[in-house]
Amino acid sequence: MSDLVTLPRFGVTAALVADTFQEAMARWLFWALFGLSTLLILFFLFILKIDVVDGAISLLGLQSTSHSFSDLQRIVHLAYSRVALFLYVWGTFLAVFASAGLMPSVLEPGRVGLLLSKPITRPVLLMGRFLGNLLIVSANVCYLILSIWIIIGIKTGMWDPAFLLSIPFTVFVFAVLLCVVVFIGVVFESAPVAVMVAAALMLVSGILAQKGNVVKLLSSEWSRDLWTWLYWASPKVWDLGRAMMNLISDRSAEWWAPAWTSAAFGIVVLAAAIQIFRKRDY
Amino acid sequence: MDAHYAIETEGLEKIYRSRFRGRQIRAVSDLTLRVPEGVKFGLLGANGAGKTTFVKMLLSAVHPTAGRAALFGRDAGEPESRRPVGYLPENHRFPTYFTGAGMLNFYGALSGMAAVERGKRIPELLAVVGLSDWGDVRIKKYSKGMLQRLGLAQALLHRPRLLVLDEPTDGVDPLGRRQIRDTLNSLLDTGVTIFINSHLLSEVEVFCDRVAIIHKGRLALEGRIRDLVAGRGYKLVAVQATDEVRRAVSVVTASATLESDRLETQMSDRGELNRVIDILRQSGALIESVTATVSTLEDVFIRTTQGETAIAPPQATEVMA
Repeated sequence: MSDLVTLPRFGVTAALVADTFQEAMARWLFWALFGLSTLLILFFLFILKIDVVDGAISLLGLQSTSHSFSDLQRIVHLAYSRVALFLYVWGTFLAVFASAGLMPSVLEPGRVGLLLSKPITRPVLLMGRFLGNLLIVSANVCYLILSIWIIIGIKTGMWDPAFLLSIPFTVFVFAVLLCVVVFIGVVFESAPVAVMVAAALMLVSGILAQKGNVVKLLSSEWSRDLWTWLYWASPKVWDLGRAMMNLISDRSAEWWAPAWTSAAFGIVVLAAAIQIFRKRDY
Repeated sequence: MDAHYAIETEGLEKIYRSRFRGRQIRAVSDLTLRVPEGVKFGLLGANGAGKTTFVKMLLSAVHPTAGRAALFGRDAGEPESRRPVGYLPENHRFPTYFTGAGMLNFYGALSGMAAVERGKRIPELLAVVGLSDWGDVRIKKYSKGMLQRLGLAQALLHRPRLLVLDEPTDGVDPLGRRQIRDTLNSLLDTGVTIFINSHLLSEVEVFCDRVAIIHKGRLALEGRIRDLVAGRGYKLVAVQATDEVRRAVSVVTASATLESDRLETQMSDRGELNRVIDILRQSGALIESVTATVSTLEDVFIRTTQGETAIAPPQATEVMA
């Protein structure tokens, strides 16, 4: 019995993570996510030969000179970046859609009461769920992007490791949006509302990112300040996607400010979710 | 708070506030109760009396508005206080993607059991609750009775010192009830404190040593079952009685009902009985029958919740195991 008392905390967290994995595996939505990823991989396998490589080579028509090789390389980098952006948007939205139900399900009456009766704190319970969700989506993102990277590499003979940057970017943005999903899950206990809010944030980030142009159109000082404030306070899904694309195609981009402000947004939202969860009666 | 008590509450109160209308519902009010270690304790109350809210406050699923609760002397709000507790909730919803053994493994891990310990205990417990052949079957194929027994195995897995069972036999067929009762009986010599929250009075009467009755969120009565049901009495039926006779009888005993000219009354002792007989003889009513009665827990419960007996004030009632 002594080992019952001294069991390390990570054992409990591991159990919660494993439970989230198991629940995800039992949901058709996660299999659909995995299936769509596989479908996309197969699609790239067939499309790539015709359009991207052969198309680019025949367009240039000059394979032997160093100049043309550089152009081809640039085109392939550009193609890589566009593919990465597509996977970023596709992967993030589908992952949010598939994950939205995992938080409300654990808060169902008759289930949460038993979980709370165990010798664990509420933040550990919530974080275990969060981590499990994040890990399963990360696994799917890795499967999708690594597969496509390998396909492109084999087909073109150009192995661009920068393409793999789309993995941390996609997982990071998903983690930020997952904080929102968890928050909505705790407050409203509703998966559809969580999807709607996360999708709205993705959309709004694209609008707010136009601040350079919009600010010039706004007449009052306070409206310009409000737009700028909203831009910095919200997750920058759009800007991070653009930064990722530029990093892959041009090898340079301003990504630090959008990244840390988005991370701060996620941390604040997750902390609020934990605080509300701690105070709630079930 | 005293570590000798498995459960100890002091002035526990829960008020639910409506988020938008600001309406308040007092679910539990000034509830002080002590349950010594090793007893089999029944918590009774009508639907909506506050029993489940009380249990949820003990297990930290609901935060008290006022007062204190402790488990084995430790504040119930601390996660560590729940380590020696096994809990079977009412209307539980076990995740259906688990197999029986998988579910026990998960909740065992959350209770702090090491993997090796779980590996030994799970087959043992499945055998105890009669589900040895069902360990690898998904829970969604389980019947209500099987789920309840699996839930009991979950509650017992980490060898708790306190077992809290919320309506353990609710919706279970007689055979299933017998199996649950047999499992609980097997724990009698282990020193485990069993706290049963139920509205099935007969089961509580058979199984528990002590009971508390909650009425409208307050502790209405608490004591040993054998003391509470010991009150013998007499039931008298008379005919040709009038309302004037009923009023005269009501002075002696509060329990007097008149239907047409038929009067039924319950007396708690021989003195009351003789005084009522005198009144009836003087009034010309005819005595049809006098029967000696024995009180059951159901009688005690109904009298208590209908306010027909003096209700104990909600104060600490120290009880001995």
